[in-house]
Amino acid sequence: MGRLRNNNQVTAIFFLGIGIFFSLYARSVDIGRWARPGPGFLPFWAGITLAAMSLGLLLRSFWQKAETVGSSFFPEKDSWKRVLSTFLALLFHTLVLPYLGFTLTTFLFLAFLFRFIFPQTWWRTLVTAVLGAIIARLLFINFLETQLPAGIFGI
Amino acid sequence: MDILNNILIGTQVVSQPINFLLCFLGVLMGTLVGVLPGLGPTAAIALLLPTTFNISPVAAIIMLAGIYYGAMYGGSTTSILVNIPGEAASVITCLDGYKMALQGRAGPALGIAAFGSFIGGTISVLGLMLIAPPLAKVAQSFGPPEYFSLMLLGIVVLIYLASGSMLKALMMAVFGLLVGTIGQDPISGTLRLTLGIHELYDGVGLIPAIMGLFGISEVIVNVEKIARSGVIATKAKNLLPSRKDWHDSFGPIIRGSAMGFFIGLLPGPTSTMSAFSSYAMEKKLSKYPERFGTGVIEGVAGPESANNAATGSGFIPLLTLGIPSNATTALLLGALLIHGIQPGPMLISKNPDIFWGTIVSMYLGNAMLLFLNLPLIGIWVQVLRVPYPILFPFILLFCLIGVFSLNYSYIEVLLMIGFGFFGYLARKFQLESAPLVLALVLGPMMENYLRISLIISRGSPLIFLKRPISATLIIITLFLLMSSLLPWIKGRRQKLSIVE
Repeated sequence: MGRLRNNNQVTAIFFLGIGIFFSLYARSVDIGRWARPGPGFLPFWAGITLAAMSLGLLLRSFWQKAETVGSSFFPEKDSWKRVLSTFLALLFHTLVLPYLGFTLTTFLFLAFLFRFIFPQTWWRTLVTAVLGAIIARLLFINFLETQLPAGIFGI
Repeated sequence: MDILNNILIGTQVVSQPINFLLCFLGVLMGTLVGVLPGLGPTAAIALLLPTTFNISPVAAIIMLAGIYYGAMYGGSTTSILVNIPGEAASVITCLDGYKMALQGRAGPALGIAAFGSFIGGTISVLGLMLIAPPLAKVAQSFGPPEYFSLMLLGIVVLIYLASGSMLKALMMAVFGLLVGTIGQDPISGTLRLTLGIHELYDGVGLIPAIMGLFGISEVIVNVEKIARSGVIATKAKNLLPSRKDWHDSFGPIIRGSAMGFFIGLLPGPTSTMSAFSSYAMEKKLSKYPERFGTGVIEGVAGPESANNAATGSGFIPLLTLGIPSNATTALLLGALLIHGIQPGPMLISKNPDIFWGTIVSMYLGNAMLLFLNLPLIGIWVQVLRVPYPILFPFILLFCLIGVFSLNYSYIEVLLMIGFGFFGYLARKFQLESAPLVLALVLGPMMENYLRISLIISRGSPLIFLKRPISATLIIITLFLLMSSLLPWIKGRRQKLSIVE
């Protein structure tokens, strides 16, 4: 099966779900009448419209010629590892920030990305991460006076 | 005389040391952002927005506008020297700019890009000054139906110009409208889909959404592949173009500026679109079209003038109608609202200092950029030597801190990461994020205008067709939507949508 056709089917099913969800949800917050539209009016009609368009895309994809776009979902064999690791690093920074504080969390975040996404030597990783964390601290906390958490170590 | 008085008001605003300094800082940071691949003006404005909270609204908008048009200048440097566009509007500059650099003519290419950008920027500011006040007067007669129809048209034009499937772009826009309904209903006060999360009461934050969709997803797409790039060894000497260069570039600069100005009035990625259109026009008008792509200066002069002119004229719908035309101006709208300023027809009469101060600052900023860009090219080249594997963690860090520092909310940061994931998948599935963002911004306003219009008309949707301005806008909207069904228009649209 061509990737484009497959993509369109996934897109259509996703948006069909979203459209149905919003139009059902809208009923719980009062759709109102045309003369007196309520808070659910737009979500209801926009949800129906989205669901209808998704059905259109889905039906179209069934008689669409199998057409391929690009070679595969990821351009390189280990692309998915880099993508996943980067998202995990972002989540790590967000969730750990209140506990470890800005400077330490930023050091760990930078070091992880330097070392594991496009691997640098340990020496380069540590020096760049330490410098990056210190400069970020000076810039955001000392210069811009951004209120960033200090964490359990107070840094 | 009115215009002179207004310029005087603007000059007084800009001559205050803090505003002057922030204008300089804005264009400097904008240029830096434009130089760095993977961090566009939208992300830069979002990142630096929190730093403007403690300054006056006029100073804030002067700085943020400076970042916007500064980035347009900076983008050309990477196109010419590295063959990597700093932002989308500079993609076309790679074709001839980089070839010129390979031939040892990086200096004149960078020089004409800077002069062309200056002239394009200045022409658009002049147009903005002349067109905005009368347009604002016309817009004062707009009621809810006109505003609704205008916003609908804005979104549909953006969809029409989408590079891929129009149906998918339309679906993204409707999805944006739906996401825009999350939060407290402004008319009844009912909470909609907030899931008890306090941060969602005011709706889904625009900045987390934009940073995620444009900043995070861009970086993620870039980390998929091992980055390979290098600044070419040429030294950017003799930046001043020769007499022949000027002779060849004069026409493209003027035509590009005019074209960019008018395209900039439309919604969508107008800077990019105008650069591509200008290139296509110059190639068509040229006596030697076959030489385009081999390093001709017209291929740099026209697009660079056009994209800067479009940036300036994009401020017209924003400031006079309160309607942003793309993600970056949407963010500027958000910035103005945060500062308690409502852009729209009344802005010029209610806050002349903000309107005219911004315009005069743009004159000044364009001049600063000219003097800043040429001598600092050496520094920008050094910036470009920072390898992407070292650069991208810092871009992500900026995104994280930028969003967190808005409201010190972890939920908003998680929201940004979520939008980043969605934006990444959207790219993979050939879905454009721009219609989603514009619908997200305009959605709450559109919903209000729609509901008020229906209440006024006692439930008759015909109100949108009974009022002449609204009817005209609706007819154009319907025409654009139906046009995808007509094969000859479909072909034309595909030609126009080379922008991405």
